[in-house]
Amino acid sequence: MSVKDLTKLAIKYCEKIGVDEAEAFAQNQHIVEVVLERAEIQSERVKTQRGIGIRVIKGKKLGFAYASTLSHATIEEACRNAKSLADVSVANPDWVSLPTPAKLPKPPNGIYDEETASMGGDEVLNIAMRTYDEAKAYDKRVDIDDGKFSLSSTEVAISNSHGVEAEEKNTLLEGFLICVAKEHGEASSMAFEYDVARSMRDFSPERIGRVAAEKALASLKPRSVQSFVGKVILDSDPASEILMYPIISGVNADNVQRGRSLWAGKLGEEVASEKLTVSDDGLFPKGIGSSSFDSEGVPCQKTPVITSGKLKSLLHNTFTANKEGKKSTGNAYRDGYNMLPLISISNVIVEAGDKKLEEMVSDVDKGVVVRRFSGNVRPESGEFSGIAKQANYIEKGEVKYPLKETMISGNAFQAMKDIIEIGSETRPTFLRAYVPPIMIDKVNIISK
Amino acid sequence: MITDLLKESLKESRGYSELRYHKRDTFNVSVKDGKIDVLNSGIIEGACARTLIKGSWGFSSTTLLEKDKINQILKDSTSLAEASKPRKKRAVKLASAKPYVDKYETPMKTDPRKSGKEELVRLVIDIDKDVRGFSKKIASDTVTFNIVDDELAFLSSEGAEISQRIVRCYGNVMVIAREEGNIASAYESIGEESGLEVLKKTPLGNVGKTAAERASKLVSAKVAPGGLYHVILENRIVGLLAHEAIGHCAEADLVYSGSFLSDKIGKEVASERITLVDDGRFPGGFGTMKYDDEGVPTQRTVLIDEGVCRSFMHSRETAQHFDVSPTGNARAWNFEYDPIIRMRNTFIEASDYSLEELAEDIKEGFFLKGGLSGQADFNGEFMFGTQEAVKIENGEFTESLRGVTISGNAFEVLKNVDAIGEDFVMRTGMCGKEQVNFAGIGGPHLITKVLMGGMK
Repeated sequence: MSVKDLTKLAIKYCEKIGVDEAEAFAQNQHIVEVVLERAEIQSERVKTQRGIGIRVIKGKKLGFAYASTLSHATIEEACRNAKSLADVSVANPDWVSLPTPAKLPKPPNGIYDEETASMGGDEVLNIAMRTYDEAKAYDKRVDIDDGKFSLSSTEVAISNSHGVEAEEKNTLLEGFLICVAKEHGEASSMAFEYDVARSMRDFSPERIGRVAAEKALASLKPRSVQSFVGKVILDSDPASEILMYPIISGVNADNVQRGRSLWAGKLGEEVASEKLTVSDDGLFPKGIGSSSFDSEGVPCQKTPVITSGKLKSLLHNTFTANKEGKKSTGNAYRDGYNMLPLISISNVIVEAGDKKLEEMVSDVDKGVVVRRFSGNVRPESGEFSGIAKQANYIEKGEVKYPLKETMISGNAFQAMKDIIEIGSETRPTFLRAYVPPIMIDKVNIISK
Repeated sequence: MITDLLKESLKESRGYSELRYHKRDTFNVSVKDGKIDVLNSGIIEGACARTLIKGSWGFSSTTLLEKDKINQILKDSTSLAEASKPRKKRAVKLASAKPYVDKYETPMKTDPRKSGKEELVRLVIDIDKDVRGFSKKIASDTVTFNIVDDELAFLSSEGAEISQRIVRCYGNVMVIAREEGNIASAYESIGEESGLEVLKKTPLGNVGKTAAERASKLVSAKVAPGGLYHVILENRIVGLLAHEAIGHCAEADLVYSGSFLSDKIGKEVASERITLVDDGRFPGGFGTMKYDDEGVPTQRTVLIDEGVCRSFMHSRETAQHFDVSPTGNARAWNFEYDPIIRMRNTFIEASDYSLEELAEDIKEGFFLKGGLSGQADFNGEFMFGTQEAVKIENGEFTESLRGVTISGNAFEVLKNVDAIGEDFVMRTGMCGKEQVNFAGIGGPHLITKVLMGGMK
C-alpha cells in the first residue's frame, strides 16, 4: 500500500470512531548510512523507517498517537489511542480547525532525484571513501577522526478529514567529516566540514575532505590575544547558528503570540541593519527544506521575513494563523511522523552581498574570523557565548594566526543591527538556512 | 514470543551474530500557557541483526517482525559484513564475555502501565498554573512530562538471552519572563530510571518554581562578565563537567583516536580530590541498565581515582584492543543503530564542604547555576552553558547575573578543583554522539577556575 492509501485508511477509520476532525501523516523513508570512526568504516546501515502519526480533535480537545508498524490493525490502534487521549485531554478554546483543501503548487524543482534515490550502500560508501581519501591526501599531518554520510529517500503523505490530500517524495544527501591536524605532538582543535544536497550532482565529497583538512591545518600553532571588543567575521555555519537561530525563533508566530519573542508587536519596524534581507522560501529550487506543501498539507510559499532590516512577516501554521484570522504561511513542520506539527522555517535565505570572504578579511583592521562555534545561543533573548574554534586573528586586513582558548560573546539581536558586511558566498547550513559569511561589530573576544 | 523467533533465526548464524528486539512505548504530555499543547502516545518496534565475520561487522534492521524478515536481516548483516571486509583495514576481535541468560526490570513502585494518564495530565496542568502564578513577569511557560518504556531483548550466537524492561520518567519546565522590553528564559528538569514515583521523590513543581524564580530574577539582570574566574559549579551542573570535560575523552573509541587521555592510564590527570565514576547501575540513574546492548553486565567503572586516571569505558571490541575486560558501555539508541561506546551515569564523588564553606574562600568569583548544552573536543577543550551567575564577593553571594557559556581545558580545570562539596545530585542528560542516548550526570558543588564567555 502506498503512504497515501495508509493516510486515507486512517482518516476513514477515525471518522467511524467518532471524532470531529482527524489528520494522518505517513512517512516512508529509506536510509543508507555509512559511519566512519577512527578513520575506519565503523558501520554501514540500511534502514527503512515507516510510520504514521494520527492527530484527532474532539470538542476542541487534542489527541495524537503514532505507530511504526503499518498494518491495518496497528493504524486502527493508533487512531483509537489518539481518540482516547483526546478524551482525557482538556479543550483548547483557541482551536479553530485543521486546514481545508487548497490548490498545491507543483513540487519545487530538484527536490527528488531518481538516480540519487537508487544509490545503495556501495555508492554511499564510495562517497565516504572519496571524502576520506581527499582529506588524507591533502597533507600528512591530517588525521581523520570521524564522519557520517547518509542518503535518505522519503515519501510523505497527508490526509485530513476536510479533504486535504497531499503526497510527495524527495531525496537528501548529507555528509560530514571531522579532521584533526597533528604536528610536533600538538593536536589542532577538531575541524568540521560538511555538505548537504538533494542530488549527487550537487554534492561534493572532495570539497568536504579538502576543506576539513584545510581548516584543521589552519588551526595548528594557535596563539592567544588579549581580550578586546571588535569585529568578527562569522563564516556561514556560525553565522547561521548565532544569527539565524534567534531570527527563526523570533518570527515564529507561536512565540510571538505567547510573548516569547522580542519581536512581538514589532511588525514593520526596523529590527536589523538595512543590509539584512531574509526570506523563508518553501519553493526554493533544490532547497533542502523545499516542498510543495507543509506538514499539515498547506501550500508552501515564499514569505519575506526581514526586508532591508524591517520585520515584514511572521511564520504561521494553521493554528497560529486561525488564532489571528490570517492565512497560514505554510510553515507547519514536523521532524518525523511521531511528532505533532510545530512551526519552523522551510528554507531560510539570507540575501547575499558582494564580497568574498577574503575581501571581507582585507577590510578588517583588527578582528577575528570564526569558522566553527562551539557554544550556546539563547534564542529568546539573543545572548550567545561560546568557544571560537577554527578562529583566526586578523590584523591590518590579513589573517595572522589561529586563536587558542578564545571565546566570543554578544547579543544576536544587537549584532543584527551591528552588521557591517554580508558576504557573497551563500551555502546551506544544517538549520536549513542558506547563509553567506556575515561580519558583525562590537563582539566580545575573550581569552585568559 | 519474539525471543523464540530470534532464537530460531540465530541457528542460521555464520560467524558471531547478535539479534536485538526493541519496543519503545512513549507517552508525552506538554502544557503551554495553560493549554494542552502535546498529548501523545506511540510505539516504535523493531529488530536488528549484527554479525561479525572474519573481523568485519555488518548490521541490518527491520520494523517487520515476521520470521522471514528476521531471517533476512541476519542474512543481510552477514552479507554486508562480507562485502565491506576488503575495504576495512582493521580486523575486529571481541574480548570474551560470558553469555548471560537473565531478565531485568526497572524497580518500580508505580508502574506507568498500570496507571491512568488522566491524573498525569491534571498534574502537568496544575504545575503549569503554579509556574505562571509565580510572578507577573512570567510571560509564557511550557511544562512537559514524558514516559519512555523500553522492552529490550538481546540474543547472541554465543548463547546470551537477556530481556530487560527499562522505564524512564522525566519532565521539564521552561519559563519565559518579560519586563520592559527585556526577556529571559530558564529551564530545569527532573527524571530517573524509575516508575511514576519519581514525581513524589523530586516533584516537577519544585524545579518549575526554580525555573520561574530564575527567569523572573534574570529578566532585569545584566550578562556576567568575560574572563578567567574562580567559580563554584552548582551540583546540578557538575555532571556536565564530568561528562564533557573527562567523560568523552575516556570513551575508548575516542582514546583510540588519540584523545588527551590516551597515554594517561596510571598518571595524575586531576586534583587528588577528584574521583570520577561512570556507573551503569547507579540506582535511578538516567543511564542505568543491567546489561549493555552487547549483553555485557554494566558495572561501576572508576575513570579517575583520587586524581589518577584508572580506566576507560569499553565495548567488547575496544576491550580486546586494549587488553582489558569490557565495561558494559556499548549502547544503542534503538534497534536502528548498532551499539557504540556511551557513558551511562557519569559523576564526581562528593566530599564534605557545605556551599557556604566553599564560598568562604572566594574573594571574587561566581556561583554558576542551571545547565545548558555542552560539547568537548578530544584534546580536552570543553564547554557548556550556564543559566545564572551569582556574584561572589569576599565569600558572600551578592548579585544574580545572566549565565554564560564556560570553557576550559579538562586537565587544567580538574587540577584547579580546590574543594568539593557534600550535596550530591544525579540528574538527567541527553547525549548526542552520532546517535542520542539517555545519560545520567551527577556530582556535588565544587570550586574550580574556568573561562567565562561573558560581556564587557
